[in-house]
Amino acid sequence: MNRPMIQTENVRKVYGGANGGVTALDGISLEISSGQIVSLLGSSGCGKSTFLNILAGLIPPSGGDIKVEGEPPRPRREVGMMFQRSLLFPWRTVVENVLLPAEVMRLPLKPSEDRARELLALVGLDGWDDRYPWELSGGMQQRVALARVLLPDPDLLLLDEPFGALDEMTRELLDLELARIAALTNKTVVLVTHSVYEAVMISDQVFVFTPRPGRLSGIVDVPVPRPRDLATSGTAEFAARVAHVRGLMAETPV
Amino acid sequence: MTTDVLETEALVEAPQRRLRRRLRGPLGALVIFLILLGVWIWAVETEVVHRVILPAPGEVATAFFVTFTEAFFYEHLWVTVQEVLIGFVIGVVLGFSLGALFGVSSFAREVSYPFIVAFQGLPKIVLAPVFITAFGFGMMSKVVMAVAISFFPVLINTMSGLMTVDEEAVRLMRSLTASRKDVFFKLSVMHAMPSIFAGVKTSLTLALIGAIVGEFVGARAGLGFLLHSYSYQLQVDRVWAITMILGLIGIILYVVIEWADRRIVFWSSQGAATEATM
Repeated sequence: MNRPMIQTENVRKVYGGANGGVTALDGISLEISSGQIVSLLGSSGCGKSTFLNILAGLIPPSGGDIKVEGEPPRPRREVGMMFQRSLLFPWRTVVENVLLPAEVMRLPLKPSEDRARELLALVGLDGWDDRYPWELSGGMQQRVALARVLLPDPDLLLLDEPFGALDEMTRELLDLELARIAALTNKTVVLVTHSVYEAVMISDQVFVFTPRPGRLSGIVDVPVPRPRDLATSGTAEFAARVAHVRGLMAETPV
Repeated sequence: MTTDVLETEALVEAPQRRLRRRLRGPLGALVIFLILLGVWIWAVETEVVHRVILPAPGEVATAFFVTFTEAFFYEHLWVTVQEVLIGFVIGVVLGFSLGALFGVSSFAREVSYPFIVAFQGLPKIVLAPVFITAFGFGMMSKVVMAVAISFFPVLINTMSGLMTVDEEAVRLMRSLTASRKDVFFKLSVMHAMPSIFAGVKTSLTLALIGAIVGEFVGARAGLGFLLHSYSYQLQVDRVWAITMILGLIGIILYVVIEWADRRIVFWSSQGAATEATM
């Protein structure tokens, strides 16, 4: 259970030319254990999204060493990624959108469709299978996107501010849902966010990034037991962690 | 009490007002049509416009219906319809293929850019005499003309549609281990489809123009040829009848393609919602 899912050593990313380049990430070394939910937290421009894309194998790093399940990062079935926008295709029904990974990965279609319908029920969208995305609210669209990323049963979920565009109440609700589903399906989750509250609420561990250049300024453990609920945020334990994280973020001027 | 009365009135009046609202467009159009018809009759009666240029509405109507009773009319109609449809299909396929190539490959786009600009600026009609010389008086030259004039909107719209694909959606596809082929067919082409179809609509109208222009310049059959012949014989009522029939064909083609558009790219009418989703 505690074997490392992700190990990185001195990861660097420089955008632009050799001389005039902008350093987006510098010296990121961290380890994330299997089965954990962790957050990469920081203000915009701290490189947290870039780091996530590097872990997904979608952006090559400029330097450093990265292992995801012991292998160099590349897009594969074991790693799923979710974005701030649902990126549902309007020409596909809800269930067809969830089936997209199965088509692309050439998984057997009939069992996949059964699984897609189960997952839609799991994310609370029972009965919406054959609707079109534009008939759904923003929160429901992200639920579909969550079902889609779960379809190929990945071990690792990389989530790039998946609920960032939603209203606060919907976001809190979906965060708890996400934690519940991750625990239920035994996933490792890496969540990128700029919300201190969201990071502490959902994570076992918060990695705090600071900008220009993007560096890891601290790691905060959140030993609050699961399952958590909205009442968790009222506990002293929770408040202490939030204060700690805020302290780390305040160390560098924005 | 007062509100009750007001509400009742509103309830009674609402359907009437809605009906009046729905009818005012068609009614207005009918009034304008009748005025135009009146002006036409007046112009012919008072000989403001010479009868050789504009016959009376009754004569044109008679010519219109008589035309449909003549067997040779259908031969000419069939020739033109074939030219238009074959030219249209080839034009769409050619436009899509080139547009897809230029949309996917920036190298191909850069190399062909000067030619695209040059061809876009060229009034394609001037090619008609060349095509008649090269491909003869038969259907071939008209099909080529229809292709030349109709493939361009599809090309441009396919290219621009493919080039506006959401980069983040591409990243999603890549994270799902999608091949370039999967990205193209499952995302890019589908994303470009509303734009492509807008081009297809334009090119259908242009294919009709291309075929008729080709027939004007040199042909042995077709509605454009028929129109031209009647014009030389000063059978002006027939000229107007054929003109109306060509207009009718244009309308029918447009209605069919509109219907196909709504069926095939059904999601694009959800414009705003689509944007929010993607």
